[in-house]
Amino acid sequence: MRVVVAEDSVLLREGLVRLLQEAEFEVVAQVGNADELRAVVRRDKPDIAIVDIRMPPTHTDEGAQAAARIREQDREVGILLLSQVIELRHALKLFSETPERFGYLLKDRVLDIDDFIDAVRRVARGGTAIDPEVVAELLGRRKEQGPLGELTPREREVLSLMAEGRSNHGICAKLFLSPKTVETHVASIFMKLGLRQAPDDHRRVLAVLAYLNS
Amino acid sequence: MRTRWILLLAAVGVVLGVFGYRVLVDRGQQPPEEAAAHIGVAWTFLAAGLIAWGRRPQSRVGALLAAAGFALLVRRFQYSESSALFTAAFALGELSNAFIAHAVLAYPTGRLQSRLEGIFVRAGYLLVLAFPLATLLVYDPRRSCLFYCAFGGPPHSLLLVHPSNGVFDLLRDSYRLGVFGVLGVVFVALIAWKFVNASPPRRRTLAPLAVAGAAAGMRALIEAAITFTTYSEDTRQILFWSQVTAQIAIPIALLAGLLRARLARGDVAHLLLELERTPPAQVRDALSRALGDPSLEVAFWVPERAGYVDAAGQPVALPQDDAGRAITRLEQGAERVAALVHDPALLDEPELIGAVGAAARLALDNARLQAELRAQLVAVRESRARIVAAGDSERRRIEQDLHDGAQQRLVALALELRTAQRRLGGSLDRDLESILDSTVEQLQRAVEELRELAHGVHPPVLTQGGLAAALDDLARRIPIPVRVLAAPQERLAPELEATAYFVVCEALANVVKHAQASAATVSAARANGSLVVEIADDGVGGADLSRGSGLRGLYDRVEARGGRLRVVSPPGGGTRIVGELPCAS
Repeated sequence: MRVVVAEDSVLLREGLVRLLQEAEFEVVAQVGNADELRAVVRRDKPDIAIVDIRMPPTHTDEGAQAAARIREQDREVGILLLSQVIELRHALKLFSETPERFGYLLKDRVLDIDDFIDAVRRVARGGTAIDPEVVAELLGRRKEQGPLGELTPREREVLSLMAEGRSNHGICAKLFLSPKTVETHVASIFMKLGLRQAPDDHRRVLAVLAYLNS
Repeated sequence: MRTRWILLLAAVGVVLGVFGYRVLVDRGQQPPEEAAAHIGVAWTFLAAGLIAWGRRPQSRVGALLAAAGFALLVRRFQYSESSALFTAAFALGELSNAFIAHAVLAYPTGRLQSRLEGIFVRAGYLLVLAFPLATLLVYDPRRSCLFYCAFGGPPHSLLLVHPSNGVFDLLRDSYRLGVFGVLGVVFVALIAWKFVNASPPRRRTLAPLAVAGAAAGMRALIEAAITFTTYSEDTRQILFWSQVTAQIAIPIALLAGLLRARLARGDVAHLLLELERTPPAQVRDALSRALGDPSLEVAFWVPERAGYVDAAGQPVALPQDDAGRAITRLEQGAERVAALVHDPALLDEPELIGAVGAAARLALDNARLQAELRAQLVAVRESRARIVAAGDSERRRIEQDLHDGAQQRLVALALELRTAQRRLGGSLDRDLESILDSTVEQLQRAVEELRELAHGVHPPVLTQGGLAAALDDLARRIPIPVRVLAAPQERLAPELEATAYFVVCEALANVVKHAQASAATVSAARANGSLVVEIADDGVGGADLSRGSGLRGLYDRVEARGGRLRVVSPPGGGTRIVGELPCAS
């Protein structure tokens, strides 16, 4: 898989690149600002661009803006935004409509290398990666009464992982459960929340996010 | 010295007038009342001119009027039996017309205002000298009749070269047509042009010229009537007396205009009384009325700034000398008080502006002290806003440094450890593996702590997502339920967003600390050029701006941005804090 890394901190960028290379990604370009990012994406057509939200010159949200432009122009390029802080409203705006090929993670998630690599693969293949903190906030906002209150603690865990964009397979690995058990939980959750089972992963994410955000 | 000259000239005028009258009446040339009227007109010019000269020596108008008076007197000697007197009087008498036109156009300073006026006046002098001289070259009393020929033996022209009746008639008619017709009309047009181009105070000064314009217009009409029509004796009488009246009106109007500044002393006394009751802020208006100059500006001298400020305390620069504005500086002893920036036309009446300035000095000094105070207030307010803005931007900088420096570095370091750990894979012994794990974990915790610290210093949400996002985020972090009722979705100026955010932040911190509230609401909305921030809770109330540094800090923040803060907090009735922050557009 071909990857572009956009990160202005050289130290972190090199760490990321090494990490990706060791996981057998092909890092086709590494850049330090948003303009260069757009240029190399146009040139190299990577499967995924990993982008720091804050970059020069203003260190506000150059990365997010560049990512939005790239998404407008080229739907085939996956975008994984990394940020030092997670901001719910911003997150929802970014992927509430088109969660496919999109991810938004806290920067220190890279330290959990396996999870991070999994998220990069997922996004590059058309899936979604949403930071657990976003999901936790969404869940935390809801009152405990209503259908969410009826979920068992295990089901809540499964729901969170679905909302993060993980596949059944990913959920199995994360919770050390058998595929059968996970499927049972998922079916039960959808029944309790009154949602219809979605045919694929990112429509499932969309349904779950829409439910949590309603 | 000047007085002596004036008295001497007046005496000469009286003598000339008396002799002139004798010349007219003794030879039966004119009825006594008409002769007296002629002399009266001349004396009026002379008297007005001499008075003006005495009172307004810097203006040449007085001298010109006096010269016109003498020319009018001299002209009477055309009727003398003596050929020498006749020739001299005939040659010089018409100069009166040129002097009058010159005096009118040069009013009030004595200087002509435009090149066109200069050309006109020079042409006038040339024509009123050239025509009579040319006439004298051809005039023969036996063939032509000049004035009232029926009254016997007319004198000769001493300049006669070759008598010619045809040339004489031609000269006479073209003189009437050219001088009183064409030049008369141009004269009226020049006066009208002066009015059109004048500023309001200038127009006030020019008022007497309207009289002169009317008189000249009438003169042109009468001359045209004499030239082109026949008329009865009754008509001639009417024309004669109206012309006399119009002529007398000219010097009187000009003299009145020149002396008006003196007459305006009454106004100045009135102004003095008025200013005693005028609040300093309105001193300008009172002066503007007294001087008749709506464009008047008053600039107050502030010694500390070594510069001028306006009534609101804002620094002003005096216009350059060539900017079409005039400046009169007012001083109290050696100290500057103020400067009046006014229409240059007022310089025509230096005494008026001097008197008004003197009368206003005390009031202006008062107003100046107020303006100075305001200037200091403005400076203090500005510096306070700067200090708060500097504090905010410093917070932003610290947050950025933490974020882009320490945090990034720690994550990079932890990542390196993780990579090393992976690369070594199973070859590590258990102890080392767990040491590395816990090191990474601690680094991660340090990153989280730094993130919280940075958030407290200046929330990145505010920079990235704006006020609405930051308020949502803030509401979630508060341990009691907080509802955000309204927040502007668009981005505002960063300083404004920061102020509003910190106001809400500190107010909510107060709610949590003191109010014992079960819930709170927050709203921020733009209304009438302000951002209105409101924080309300259902707690115990009784909050007081004078107690507790929390509210005090809020108050200072809002005030520093030129806003207002209100606290409504009846005991037992909850607390409502409303901050209004001015925002552009």
